[in-house]
Amino acid sequence: MNLDDALQTFITESRELLGDMENALLNIDLAGDQSEAINAIFRAAHTIKGSAGLFSLDHIVAFTHVVESLLDAVREGRVVLNDEMITLLLSCCDYLTGMTDGLAAGRYEADPDTAADGEMLLQQLRRHMGMDAAVTGDHAGALAVQPEPGVERMGGDAGDSDYWHISLRFGREVLQNGMDPIAFLRYLARLGRIAGMATVADALPPAADMDAELCYLGFEIAFDSSADREAILGVFEFVQDDCEIRLVAPRSKVSEYVELIRALPENPARLGEMLVLCGSVTAAELAAALAQQSQSEALATPDDTADVPPRLGSILVAAGQVAPVVVEAALNKQKQVVEQKAQENRSIRVDSDKLDKLIDLVGELIIAGARASVIGQRLHSTQLQEATSTLSGLVEEVRDAALELRMVKIGATFNRFQRVVHDVARELGKDIGLVVDGEDAELDKTVVEKIGDPLMHLVRNAMDHGIEPADVRVAAGKPARGMIKLNAFHESGSIVIQVSDDGGGLRKEKILAKAIERGLVDADRKLTDAEIYNLIFEAGFSTAEKITNLSGRGVGMDVVKRNITALRGSVDVGSSEGQGTTVTVRLPLTLAIIDGFLVQVADSVFVIPLDTIEECIEFAAEPGQDYSNLRGQVLPFIRLRSLFHVQGAPTRRESVVVLRFGKVRAGLVVDTLLGEFQTVIKPLSPIFSEVRCISGSTILGTGDVALILDVGALLQSVEGKGAALPALAA
Amino acid sequence: MPLTAINLASAPLPSQYLTFMLGEEQFAVGILHVKEIIEYAAMATVPMMPDCVRGVINLRGAVVPVLDLSARFGRGVARIGKRTSIIIAEVAEAGDEAEGAQRSGKQVLGMLVDAVNAVVEIEPADIEQAPSFGTRVRPDFIAGIGKYNGRFVILLALDRVLSTGEVVELSRRTARHEQEPWPADRCHDDRHCPDR
Repeated sequence: MNLDDALQTFITESRELLGDMENALLNIDLAGDQSEAINAIFRAAHTIKGSAGLFSLDHIVAFTHVVESLLDAVREGRVVLNDEMITLLLSCCDYLTGMTDGLAAGRYEADPDTAADGEMLLQQLRRHMGMDAAVTGDHAGALAVQPEPGVERMGGDAGDSDYWHISLRFGREVLQNGMDPIAFLRYLARLGRIAGMATVADALPPAADMDAELCYLGFEIAFDSSADREAILGVFEFVQDDCEIRLVAPRSKVSEYVELIRALPENPARLGEMLVLCGSVTAAELAAALAQQSQSEALATPDDTADVPPRLGSILVAAGQVAPVVVEAALNKQKQVVEQKAQENRSIRVDSDKLDKLIDLVGELIIAGARASVIGQRLHSTQLQEATSTLSGLVEEVRDAALELRMVKIGATFNRFQRVVHDVARELGKDIGLVVDGEDAELDKTVVEKIGDPLMHLVRNAMDHGIEPADVRVAAGKPARGMIKLNAFHESGSIVIQVSDDGGGLRKEKILAKAIERGLVDADRKLTDAEIYNLIFEAGFSTAEKITNLSGRGVGMDVVKRNITALRGSVDVGSSEGQGTTVTVRLPLTLAIIDGFLVQVADSVFVIPLDTIEECIEFAAEPGQDYSNLRGQVLPFIRLRSLFHVQGAPTRRESVVVLRFGKVRAGLVVDTLLGEFQTVIKPLSPIFSEVRCISGSTILGTGDVALILDVGALLQSVEGKGAALPALAA
Repeated sequence: MPLTAINLASAPLPSQYLTFMLGEEQFAVGILHVKEIIEYAAMATVPMMPDCVRGVINLRGAVVPVLDLSARFGRGVARIGKRTSIIIAEVAEAGDEAEGAQRSGKQVLGMLVDAVNAVVEIEPADIEQAPSFGTRVRPDFIAGIGKYNGRFVILLALDRVLSTGEVVELSRRTARHEQEPWPADRCHDDRHCPDR
């Protein structure tokens, strides 16, 4: 096993777990049932601690241990969770994230710069435990290292649970690496007395498949010793890289055993055997139980592990020798192993670079396919045309499947804002909640990654400027608690993300006054509401009276707009005074390949994203006007020929492509319709950054380049221009 | 005259140059800038761009913009002849400040020229600083004037000639013009005007 790879996996997993932990913390319902959330948080902390232990990351283990102890106390109801503790635990999450980041940067020790923070957090954690311990009569400062009174003890002979329990799984290559498992056990015996040992041979394949050079064995050992954890682990130092070692201290709580069972790697391990080997039952109890079992064996229902005695656990419970909670954990473990197996098979982690490569190749494939079909048409070969049409059908499916791989749900991005809202609300001293809707809407991973920052800006802005202080809200007859809403949905080939607040709304006069003051608009110009609102996206524009460290500096909204435009998206703001503000961001679903529709004007071929097209009709204008009659409705149109200053007379039979983008519907007059085309988007050189109506380019089957029209920008460029439309002068 | 500070003071001038013709005049660019030379082929025009941006071509799957050098030097749009070629050049991208981070690296651009001549060797000793007046090309486009076979050849400062920032600025101006109603007498693009 390559340690670096494993460490990478640890880092990735830890980040995910910390994310889960954070989410669970934020979603905890202080008043209601919190056991599920607490368990989730505990599991995350525990897994991080366990994995960190494997890598000897002592600083992480030490810190997580304390966090875990507190969580454990909460789980057992000894400590009551309160708001302050949630904030503390969130800070702990941050601290752990910091340590994980440090690890990713190659720092394997605690960072001295942040050690003080860590120490402070630890003290607070201990205080919470200590405080509540005093209430319950427990002694203060007792960490899990010491046995805690009142903890459920394992049944049976008291002497037995005074042993350490060591759970060993040797790696396959141990023998090949020149290590002999027996030697370790012998060495272990020098530290104390091996009270009992069982060999776990479940991984042993049938003799025919067995590789004699591999080690398939694991051991469960009850160990009587006064040595400490480090000393015992030290025995296995030489093999710890490819071995799984778990230690349970003497006099441990039931939960420790429960966790051990959960953590063990064995495939549906024999429950009964595990219980015995955990040291939770004595040999005498085992003998009794076995005797009982052999009598009832005939009655045991056959399952997939029919060859192993399956029902020892229930027998032990029936005999009242094992706490039901332990059996339940073991049962859960069995179930989970099966479920996990299924899950593992269903999803794999793939480097996103590999996906990008795949998408690139699919893009090339589409272009090559288009070329083949053009040649087929040129040669008038029916066979070739048939073959290429089958091919292009398949390629289309491959494309969709490949793009699908990169689609992720927006939910994860949205949920990050729970934390943001929580923290920022605290910082601002406002009471603000977050409602999230449409988490299941999917969009391209690249888009998701890039949308985070602009959204962050919008949310912070809404909280700082949008939501009024509680007293103002109450005076206005609104609930004191402000609400931010994140919403996402699909609409004609785009994903729409809305950030809304129920705050004071934008003040038109103020924005306009400021804009005039800054010379952004002429004082005598009449602006529509939408135009005024959109002024907030101008660079350096801010109407906030005071600058906070969150927003108000006037940098931000223009950056938001620029970032979104760079993703071929658009941003819009709507507001009603006193009611709130909604910022609507519209983004393309994917950045790589789209379904396009080819149109021709003179010699130039353009691609229109198919999702924006409603229909195509024959050109017919009302006399002297630039609109036509679409089944009784007025359809204003843009002549592409005039807009782009293409010279020459139009063809005799022009067509109108009916476009819809957001709420705007318009026609686009073109010479010829050429049909659908799978469009691989090729970025245009930055020298074309000023060309508003073109979003990219593509390569046609003939090898020619076609430009992709940016329908949103196109419609915006003529919106409200009225008579100034170049088409009239042409 | 001894060799004095020339425009590209920081980088030593390469000694090999590709010479080409624009009209009757000979120019040269450092060979290290040149990726390849291709024959002229029809290209897709990009609307609302200044005259000096001729269009985009498909260079083995990459979409590459082509600049009309003649138009860039303010001499009118080049006529396509038998020997018209496109020099594919690579220039370092300075990028403007606002988007500098996104636009670092190399830019590949095509230059439309009337004819490509040869690769010649010009010793640094044979390169003179451009005169402060008297050239009909903008002084900042000139890296120096080389002597070759008893003739002068203008060595171009490609980073300036193919400057993205400047072309963007030009296109911004073009776009602004086109917001106005279109004056009937202004023929925007010679290529499409049959009567010229």
